[in-house]
Amino acid sequence: MKAMFATRAEAITGLIVALAVIMASVAVEAWGTRILVSLLSQAVIVSFLAFAIGFLARTSNLVSFGHAAPFGLGAYGTAWVLSNGSPLPPELGLLLVVPAVAGVFFLVGLVVSRLEGIAFGMLTLALGQGFFVAASKFRGLTGGADGRIIDLPRRLFGLRADVVQSPYGMFVIGLAILALVYLALRAFEATHTGRLAAAIRENDERVRFLGYRSRALKAAVFALSAAIAALGGVLYALYQGFVSPEILHWSYSGSALIMSILGGTSLLWGPIAGAFAFFFLRQELSALTTHWLALVGATLVVVTVAWPSGLSGGIAALLSRLGLRTRQGAAP
Amino acid sequence: MTVRFRCVDIGKRYGGLAALQGINLELEAGIVHGLIGPNGAGKSTFIDVVSGRSRGSGQVFLDGRDITRMPPSERRRLGVSRSFQRTSIFLGLTIREQLYLAAHGAGGGHTGELVEMLGLGSVLDERAEDVSYGQQRLVDLALALVGNPVVLLLDEPAAGLSVAESQVLASHLEDIAARWNVAVLLVEHDMDVVFRICHVLTVLASGKWLVSGPPAQLRNDPAVIRAYFGGTA
Repeated sequence: MKAMFATRAEAITGLIVALAVIMASVAVEAWGTRILVSLLSQAVIVSFLAFAIGFLARTSNLVSFGHAAPFGLGAYGTAWVLSNGSPLPPELGLLLVVPAVAGVFFLVGLVVSRLEGIAFGMLTLALGQGFFVAASKFRGLTGGADGRIIDLPRRLFGLRADVVQSPYGMFVIGLAILALVYLALRAFEATHTGRLAAAIRENDERVRFLGYRSRALKAAVFALSAAIAALGGVLYALYQGFVSPEILHWSYSGSALIMSILGGTSLLWGPIAGAFAFFFLRQELSALTTHWLALVGATLVVVTVAWPSGLSGGIAALLSRLGLRTRQGAAP
Repeated sequence: MTVRFRCVDIGKRYGGLAALQGINLELEAGIVHGLIGPNGAGKSTFIDVVSGRSRGSGQVFLDGRDITRMPPSERRRLGVSRSFQRTSIFLGLTIREQLYLAAHGAGGGHTGELVEMLGLGSVLDERAEDVSYGQQRLVDLALALVGNPVVLLLDEPAAGLSVAESQVLASHLEDIAARWNVAVLLVEHDMDVVFRICHVLTVLASGKWLVSGPPAQLRNDPAVIRAYFGGTA
């Protein structure tokens, strides 16, 4: 029983991911056009939201329509800790934003994780819209529909503000953090708790009859997923220097959900691939027609029919045919 | 013999229908107690109520301690384990992974001995969805057995198995009850298995207690025959 979880494979994966991040950063700096770099930086930020939704679907079999809420709270939290009203030093405040959002969503998770399927989706939708309306109404705190401008300090964690707010700077920072989150989640899935989360996804009742209290772990997975979204919100706020309620709207969650479906959730990196594919698709299709969203919808239908497990599942199947193995998780 | 598990006045209603009425039952260490009756007698409902899966009336005691209001997870940690009518395992996990989870949840246990006893050694690293149905039933049983349970509630463990597989399972259950001194409640439709390994039987009919006694005595009991076949036997 002892040697159940491989660590050498994880180390090799870590190296490959680190190399990929470095190569992507160098390639984009060498050959990336201004538009491409801008597109990539936005894709990286929204990847966190798609990743969060995909992780929840993969780990708990739950589809959230309200993950714009933790994303938006991360962004508004950033705006607040960097404002004059915050009693905390900016760096310390920024470090606390994600845990604070995760804490809130752990409590939310204790309630919503009792539900499944449509009921869960509708409750998260209602919750997300609740945050959207609150952000629109509490003008004193959020700036209401006009939003709120963020004054970044000259330096954050030793980085100049203009680096953080440059497309290339955000692309590299975002990609590096995304890679770390990816590796952390891979490691999590290989732990006892990760296996337990997979068992709960498959058969919650049996897990309780094995001596576990499953509700707290389900809430923890929900909170972890919210934390990933909040991290994206923090980067969004730092990059844009502005937050408004539109990032809390359900349509923002919907777009990220489309990215997640497009990329597939059978592999951990699927939603990230979906986010990048979505951004490039949107860029190319919007140049052709104003009805680009209809074409995105058609593409989504084609991809899900051809590859029910999304782009990542299709790529994995292709690699498998070529004799290369990928670690395929049992996910919806 | 020591009474480990005592169920007092167990009842369950579904709206106006009384699925169980005033059932009393005691399980003793090392004894396999069969619970039989025709379809709809309330056997699975009884296991569901006393294991904490569904709410009913009455009280449940483990070694004299009232556990009626405890959630299933706490009951399991105290040593009350159960299996389900339908195979209830984790198809996407390997056998090793799920036994590990079960052992951890129950606070440790003899997985090695179990694996050897149930003949699961050759499939430990297979995903549960990739092994035969008979092996899946054994995994189901193994999950219930991990962690030295003191009470084992089994809901049709032989369902869907071939005659030969049922006999192997019966041997395992007989062995486990005797070697580990476990109090076993067995709900089973396979009468060959029931009459082979049960030390005592309780018969339910329409949610009510009908009769209890040794299998040899009940085999030809007119009330039992009437409950199963109807009419005036």
